[in-house]
Amino acid sequence: MTGAEIIVEAARIWLWIGAGVAVLFLGFGMAMVDEDADGAFAFRPLLVPGILLIWPLVLWRWGRLAMGSDDWAWRYGPPRAIHMAMAVGLSLAILAFLLGGALVKQSWPADSAPQQLSAPEVSE
Amino acid sequence: MSVKYTPVQWNRVKYCYDALLVAGTILFLAVFLPLPPEALGHTRPVDPQITNARAFGACAFVMLSIILMIGPLARLDDRVLPLLYNRRHFGVLTCLVALTHAYFVLNWYFAFSPTDKWAASLSANTSYGQALGFPFETLGIFALLCLLVLAATSHDFWLKFLGAPLWKGLHMLIYPAYAAVVGHIALGALQSQEVTTFAWITAFLSLGVAGLHLAAALQARMSPDPQAHAVPDPAWREVCDVTDLREGFAQIAQLPDGKRVAVFLHEGQISAISNACAHQNGPLGEGRIVNCLVTCPWHGFQYDVRNGQSPAPFTEKIPTYRVRLKGSRVQVDPVANPPGTPVPPVPLSKAARV
Ligand code: FES
Repeated sequence: MTGAEIIVEAARIWLWIGAGVAVLFLGFGMAMVDEDADGAFAFRPLLVPGILLIWPLVLWRWGRLAMGSDDWAWRYGPPRAIHMAMAVGLSLAILAFLLGGALVKQSWPADSAPQQLSAPEVSE
Repeated sequence: MSVKYTPVQWNRVKYCYDALLVAGTILFLAVFLPLPPEALGHTRPVDPQITNARAFGACAFVMLSIILMIGPLARLDDRVLPLLYNRRHFGVLTCLVALTHAYFVLNWYFAFSPTDKWAASLSANTSYGQALGFPFETLGIFALLCLLVLAATSHDFWLKFLGAPLWKGLHMLIYPAYAAVVGHIALGALQSQEVTTFAWITAFLSLGVAGLHLAAALQARMSPDPQAHAVPDPAWREVCDVTDLREGFAQIAQLPDGKRVAVFLHEGQISAISNACAHQNGPLGEGRIVNCLVTCPWHGFQYDVRNGQSPAPFTEKIPTYRVRLKGSRVQVDPVANPPGTPVPPVPLSKAARV
């Protein structure tokens, strides 16, 4: 199995576990932790993709809410201070990609000779 | 605002917003798809599938750039706030356009792969150590995954279930996703194009996004909300003077625990509530009172300023704070009351109002 196939297989397993969590959570878990969901069914299929993708977070929040250990105060503290770090990081990454891309770009005259970018992998 | 959840909470404004979004997307594709190969930097005709992939890819990039510009623009200028109102639908549509791009790419370039198409796209090029010929596909897959997480968790249920701070933290994935998209284009499509128009458009949009975010972050740092001052009585903090208050509006102050309080003047009485909206933690203190209710400037959730509760049948609640007047100075108890706790408003004395 190649590295890429392992990643794809792991993704498949992740999604299957997510499907199990989705069945349990949408079936009877969510109405226990959110009274607005009680008796509301039409919107539930819309949540399936989210549960498939972030099911560990779903299980963690489900546990906290079901056990009543969720502290209300933290819900009102938005992470505003992070914005500066995000803005600087984003700007640097964009500059690096644009400049890097422009610097390595090759022009393609019709008669240019082929150029090897990296050594070929030797198979045994 | 939720009572019982519905699949999509549409209203007239959202219908118009979404109709414009769809029309704009169709218009973009209708202009892009018939472009002659020379305009795209191709020396020979290209297959329609490749043109499709490029059209949807370019469309997703432009949409993502606009989405990322709306936030900082709304911070810098209130008139952009209406665009923020339904930005989540914009995000979901962008994700669908990006998925279509991926569909065309996978089913063309990897159509005859003996292995799984996704595995093939990950293994076709693994030269991660070099800039020229970097596997830009991986950057695109990463960005697509982020967009999927954001779109899949955009329903209001997720906000309430995860809590706004965690939800917002998760949705900050949009920053690395956008950086990855710029890398995907700069090290991918732009490498094979002789026409520089698209390089300039990419640079203009992405640097515009970066510049706006830096400007908004700098503005927030240079004019931060004032700190509530300590007073001799440690149980209270001073927010402002009564003369700073304007009927229907608030003064915002930061409390020692880092949270913000919004002190409103309503019908000559002072009340204090959390500045963070229960929905996405929007800045309630930057909203105003409409029909006796504090109205959030981001998506219009409303709260009674005297008890932090949304009007029935809605169920959202925010914390309230005790408030008192010391002469003309407005003071709050920095310990928040649980969400929805009624607090009697403090009337302004006649003298203080003069
Ligand atoms: S943050 Fe959405 S209504 Fe306040």
